[in-house]
Amino acid sequence: MRAFDFAAPHDVAGALDLAGGSSAFLAGGTTLVDLMKLEVMTPEQVIDINRLPLRGVRQEPDGLRFGALERMEDAARHPDVAGRYPVISQALLLSASPQLRNMASLGGNLLQRTRCGYFRDVTTPCNKRAPGSGCPALHGDNRGHAVLGTSDSCVATHPSDLAVALVALDASVRLRGADGERTVPLADFYLRPGDTPHQENVLRLGELVTEIVVPDLPWAANSAYVKVRDRQSYEFALASAAVAVDLRDGRVRDARVAVGGVGTVPWRLPAVEAALRAGESHEAAAALAAEGARPLAGNAFKVTLAQRAILRALAELAERR
Amino acid sequence: MMSVRSANREDGPVKVSGAAAYAADHHPDGLAYGYLLTSTVARGTLLAMDTAAAERAPGVIAVYTPFNPLDVRPFLKEGGAELAAPLQDTRIRYHGQAVGLVVAETFEQARDAAALVTARYDADRPRASFADGLAGAEPPATGAPAQEVLADGVASIDEALAASDVTITATYTTPAETHVAMEPHATVASWTGGRLTIHTATQGVRLAVERLSEALAMDPADIRVINPYVGGGFGNKWATWAHTPLTAAAARVLGRPVKTVLTREQVFTVVGHRPLTSQTVSLGASADGTLVAVRNDGVSSRSASNSFYEAVADLSLSMYDAPNLHASRKVVTLDVPVTTIMRAPSESNGSFALESAMDELADALGMDPLDLRRKNDSSRHPVSGLPWSSKHLDECYTLGAERFGWSRRGRVPGAVADGDWLVGMGMGTATFGAFRSEASINVRLRDDGRVVVSGTAADLGTGQSTVFAILAADVLGIPVERVIPDLGDSATPPAVSAGGSGSTSGNGPAVRLAAQAARDALVKLAAEHEKSPFHGQEVTYAGGEVGDGGRAMPFGELLALLGLPDLDATATSPRNASQSHAFRSFGAHFCEVRVNRWTGEPRVTRWLSVVDAGTIVNAKAARSQIVGGVVMGIGQALLEDLRIEPGTGRFGNATMADYLVPVNADIPPIEVEFLNYPDTLLSDLGARGIGELSIVGAAGAVANAVHNATGRRVRDLPITLDKLL
Ligand SMILES: Cc1cc2nc3c(=O)[nH]c(=O)nc-3n(C[C@H](O)[C@H](O)[C@H](O)COP(=O)(O)OP(=O)(O)OC[C@H]3O[C@@H](n4cnc5c(N)ncnc54)[C@H](O)[C@@H]3O)c2cc1C
Ligand code: SF4
Repeated sequence: MRAFDFAAPHDVAGALDLAGGSSAFLAGGTTLVDLMKLEVMTPEQVIDINRLPLRGVRQEPDGLRFGALERMEDAARHPDVAGRYPVISQALLLSASPQLRNMASLGGNLLQRTRCGYFRDVTTPCNKRAPGSGCPALHGDNRGHAVLGTSDSCVATHPSDLAVALVALDASVRLRGADGERTVPLADFYLRPGDTPHQENVLRLGELVTEIVVPDLPWAANSAYVKVRDRQSYEFALASAAVAVDLRDGRVRDARVAVGGVGTVPWRLPAVEAALRAGESHEAAAALAAEGARPLAGNAFKVTLAQRAILRALAELAERR
Repeated sequence: MMSVRSANREDGPVKVSGAAAYAADHHPDGLAYGYLLTSTVARGTLLAMDTAAAERAPGVIAVYTPFNPLDVRPFLKEGGAELAAPLQDTRIRYHGQAVGLVVAETFEQARDAAALVTARYDADRPRASFADGLAGAEPPATGAPAQEVLADGVASIDEALAASDVTITATYTTPAETHVAMEPHATVASWTGGRLTIHTATQGVRLAVERLSEALAMDPADIRVINPYVGGGFGNKWATWAHTPLTAAAARVLGRPVKTVLTREQVFTVVGHRPLTSQTVSLGASADGTLVAVRNDGVSSRSASNSFYEAVADLSLSMYDAPNLHASRKVVTLDVPVTTIMRAPSESNGSFALESAMDELADALGMDPLDLRRKNDSSRHPVSGLPWSSKHLDECYTLGAERFGWSRRGRVPGAVADGDWLVGMGMGTATFGAFRSEASINVRLRDDGRVVVSGTAADLGTGQSTVFAILAADVLGIPVERVIPDLGDSATPPAVSAGGSGSTSGNGPAVRLAAQAARDALVKLAAEHEKSPFHGQEVTYAGGEVGDGGRAMPFGELLALLGLPDLDATATSPRNASQSHAFRSFGAHFCEVRVNRWTGEPRVTRWLSVVDAGTIVNAKAARSQIVGGVVMGIGQALLEDLRIEPGTGRFGNATMADYLVPVNADIPPIEVEFLNYPDTLLSDLGARGIGELSIVGAAGAVANAVHNATGRRVRDLPITLDKLL
């Protein structure tokens, strides 16, 4: 770990004043400190934002709002979340471990970095960490890598479970920077790697995530998050599916489907949703999840697995009715 | 016969409270901190290293590299260790090889400075693919390339197979694995005059003394290794690794103590790993299921840096009765970190293939797999023909089948489901060789009424120190709490190091002999010492007291009365030299596995192991040992896979986050049943070993249950969901 300056401002304005250049906000630190130890992230200044009043979950006219510093475990256990958006609650509770969830914030979760082993090992090339140095994952150890939204520059997955659930629910993030405030749909927040895998999102230098907004969706009470991995806990997804269905009289009226662990960004599947709305079979609809998939030597199974995760979620939701 | 005890660990409180000092917990005055530098290519030559910036960095004391080496010599005996001495040449033999040591005033300063060192290599393409190497596999440089037994009149193993009514042939492969013990390897070295005292994580302080005396060209008498607590080893702390002699050599030249702790990532490469293996197994049987021929051609990877490989086919010669047996060994040499022993080396991988193949044969015969094993259970060692010293495997099978509900196993694969989960049952036979090595132990009775039991043994978390306490307490008739086990100090008598599941079987008899000797010495003292109240009497000993029929006195009081702080005796128990019997432990695993019908995840949901390992000294700790082996076996079956990148020779997942071992959620309740028949031909104690036994057969049992659940036979470990989709 490199030496750094440390500050702990009391309010948002103070944090924004300090931010910029080679600074990093510190929330739970479960990504930041980890990557600083590995020297993947080497900020000269660390700004602890934990004193900022960005906590809590509350209902507003535009939907349910989460403070960016709300802890994962608290958010998952919040009755409004568990009752009205089980997909969010489940995505959070299937993440990491209780200790980590008690430390880690929602904002930090959305901004966590990829788990690609080359990205995390500074002795290897990696276009995301060191632009232009190459992508060893293309022909190397890539069982955990993405099949959707990849480029020849980078095939790393976005690791967040929460983001998959939020993208399915049309959530937005509220951002505050020196130039003021703006709201960005989460689906537009993340950038596919293209030729610039080091640019992962539209957050500007020194900009702070202040809130997450989830619009009302009454039938999201019938939602589920299926996470598939080699071991039963304490592991990122090989594939996951966030699914909500509006079921009436045994018929799908509407559906939301997104997958994780397979895309370079949280991957919404409008084609699958449309097929379900059109009354196609679960199998026929899920098959559309494979559209545009580009498997690598080690991860071809993910194309099938993502579809199976969707089918499993749909089956669970159908059973619950 | 002693009764079976179930004692808490004598070292439990100090471990739980954090008071136990592991190697890295020692901080002698003036301590400096070492940080290892490792190579980032797998094969080639180190051309140059730029250490200027590191040398100028705050707190840095010295930077050692092959261009500014420390004086370290090669080990003479290998024992799964690396053959080339670190920093003595510029050759790169594997990715992650030690190429330097930075020493600084603090750990952080050493680590920061290490990040400033740059290296230039002339890199070659490494040999890194086991699969590609299989075609060119060669007989090993050490060990017999093949063993064969043929029945009278049979010309070859292939002839025997051809003459069988039913045969199966299949190839089973296993990946590289690594031990990932909780405690990372650490060494703290201090010199006083020409004498070295070293705290280092090791499975045997005696082994460490030997290796260090070679590496530092010293008289072993001038080296003392102290290491009473070990945070797991699983074979990986048997050998001595590069950081240990480097740390000692640095402390010698710098004239101050030095500590080096490997980082979690370095624990994947600087120390060894379990080789990859491939076994092609053919089984031939008559129509009634009697085995006619067993053939196993085994191949193991071997690091170019040493010669250790797994003789993975050999287990097929020691298990089931068959008149015709053949096992061969070949190796594929790779430019990878050192290959070394890991829990049940050869046997756990060997059993995965053999136990899977037995089930495949049972399928081909249309027989219950348990019946097939029963039918071919051996009463003598199949090769030597010697009778087993004490084998009750059939009872393990019978008891296990009944307890587990084996009769409810679906006869047809894929027939049983519970909601979205396909349910299957499987079983596998456990076995491991039993030994009794020579061991010396000292027992010291103290005037405070306590007893110290000393020997160079190691407790890796196994419960060995509690075994010492129980056995000494039993002989001396005192409460276990009054015994102080004193392990892990090379200044004590030479006992058995922790390897080959031989600790209790070797050290146990020695502890009893030494306790008896101390008791006899006490009786003699009581009768012969002039100031003794029992002088000239017929003295007896019972329950911690000496007496003459009338009066009795606790031994501590007697010693105090005589002005003696203590009285001790050392005894040696010889190695087992029996030529008349074959010695092995046995057991049977039964498990239930569920596989998700949509997403293919295999999950183990029930487990029972019935164990025939001779006398069980401490039922509680023994159960933990068996459970630990089963957990590791489940990891081997479903998760563990140290992936070597074919192009670079780098381990692709050499971090604790990416190298998967089971977490609690992966482990079902595990039931363990001990038969507890003393093996009196092995020793009067009758204890064999249990450290490795239970990983053997476990992966096969899981694979067989997966097949029973799904109809899919996975012959390539680990059985991950992608193989079941
Ligand atoms: C062992 C392990 C297992 C894990 N398993 C999972 C899993 O299964 N699923 C999963 O989804 N996640 C998993 N995680 C990731 C974990 O959820 C994230 O590390 C965590 O959510 C990050 O939150 P934090 O508050 O600790 O962020 P920090 O580490 O404090 O910050 C992360 C990044 O976000 C920036 N940042 C933080 N907050 C803000 C803000 N408000 N505005 C702007 N920038 C900000 C920081 O500067 C930093 O770059 C795992 C992590 C570990 C260590
Ligand atoms: S996949 Fe992306 S993160 Fe991983 S090595 Fe390639 S560029 Fe780097």
